[in-house]
Amino acid sequence: MLNYIWGGLIVSSLAFALVSDIGDFSSDRYRNGSPLPVSVSFDEGYDPSARLQNVTVRIAAQAFSDHFHVDQSADSEWTGTLLQTDEGRELRFAYEAAVPEPLETICAHTGRGDCRAALDGQPTEEVWAAGVVFRPVRWVKMNAIASAALDFAETAVTLALGLIGGLGLWMGLLKIAEASGLLYALIRLTQPAIRLLFPKVPRNHPALGMIVLNLTANMLGLGNAATPLGIKAMQELQTLNPTDDTATDSMVMLLAMNTASVQLVPPVLLVAIMGLQINQLFFSIVITTALSLVVAIAAARLLGCLKRFRLSS
Amino acid sequence: MNVLHILIDYASALVLPLLLVGFPLYGMFKKVRVYEVFVEGAKEGFNVAVMIIPYLIAILFAIGMFRASGAMDFLTDLLRPLLAVIRFPAEVIPMAIVRPLTGSGSAAIVLEMIGQFGEDSILVKMAATMFGSTETTFYVIAVYFGAINIRKTRHAVPAGLIADTFAMLAAVYVVLWLFG
Repeated sequence: MLNYIWGGLIVSSLAFALVSDIGDFSSDRYRNGSPLPVSVSFDEGYDPSARLQNVTVRIAAQAFSDHFHVDQSADSEWTGTLLQTDEGRELRFAYEAAVPEPLETICAHTGRGDCRAALDGQPTEEVWAAGVVFRPVRWVKMNAIASAALDFAETAVTLALGLIGGLGLWMGLLKIAEASGLLYALIRLTQPAIRLLFPKVPRNHPALGMIVLNLTANMLGLGNAATPLGIKAMQELQTLNPTDDTATDSMVMLLAMNTASVQLVPPVLLVAIMGLQINQLFFSIVITTALSLVVAIAAARLLGCLKRFRLSS
Repeated sequence: MNVLHILIDYASALVLPLLLVGFPLYGMFKKVRVYEVFVEGAKEGFNVAVMIIPYLIAILFAIGMFRASGAMDFLTDLLRPLLAVIRFPAEVIPMAIVRPLTGSGSAAIVLEMIGQFGEDSILVKMAATMFGSTETTFYVIAVYFGAINIRKTRHAVPAGLIADTFAMLAAVYVVLWLFG
């Protein structure tokens, strides 16, 4: 299943990127090579011999709309610098200010923090009606998916390495809990309930204790503790696994319960985003999470009986 | 019902310090050589994290590409007429699609929706409920199964996605019921 979803994500992102780029190409969305009419005024008067001069660039709404075939109701104005070399004149302006689309994409695609374009025509003393030609923009989405793939691969490593501290801490503590017998006291207390969900785990097995701790941490919104505890539970379940690389029913059950997330306390990130409004959402989150937990348990149990998901296959 | 809320808040704040202190304390009481045992257990942390890396790279890079390709907009357009039939608002469709894929991406959507509709709007309540009541399914699969080298996931993905789909629908109707 994961093979198909994974392959599907990759192939479909290529397909969507291709369709989108060909669409841009056929509609000439970025008007590659054709000059956009602007008016350039020199802050300190035009000096033909200066290499760098400060300028103000104005784009009339009408000219912008006609050029890019979009609706742009307001004129836009930026300050920038004009660079004069033997090769020609280049305009550079920072585009932190809201630049209307598709100009924003063009700037993001062609510059490094600033927007660069060649200038047509001969400068005049007062306001110079020039044409700017941006560097051609092609294959926007194709480039985007390639750089996203690299970015996310790096993110994956950062995320995984970020787990080391929490993992070490909890694995150390759990080792103590195991050696001292505390874990087994917890197991004796909770196993009548928890073994209903994990019937294939033998009585008094350490996995039961880890599962209880994982679910408790989840419930209390302690994400940083829940992940190491869940991993430890998985490791204990793996000791009961007759195969090396195939998930058992108990593993799928634990995973389904974790993805449904039994949260009574909203995650920290959501609290940070929502502020005081989060208090109103307490009940809607608890009701939704409880319902989805029931569905997750039922799905894990029932799908496990299907022929195509049988362990032997 | 407010008592329940406060009780959970207290438990959430206290359980971590109690466990952190309680485990070693009980160990000392039982004459376990706590420091030595702790270090032995903690050694594993690094190896597990390193084991997870290939699984996480595989999952995250595919999801990153998918998001960057603009496929989400297409899916939203595709689902809009279908979901309109069951009163599922089009504005929260992106959230429902992104939630199982990435945590940071769905947080960004909630923020964006707050900017667009305001914290008080029912649409933001729906999106926030979706965020709060489910997990990033594919991340959880990569981390939990990666840590023990499970590659054949059997029915884990369908079970997770069925629960997610249900949670997304439930979030909309529960919010409509409570606030609508």
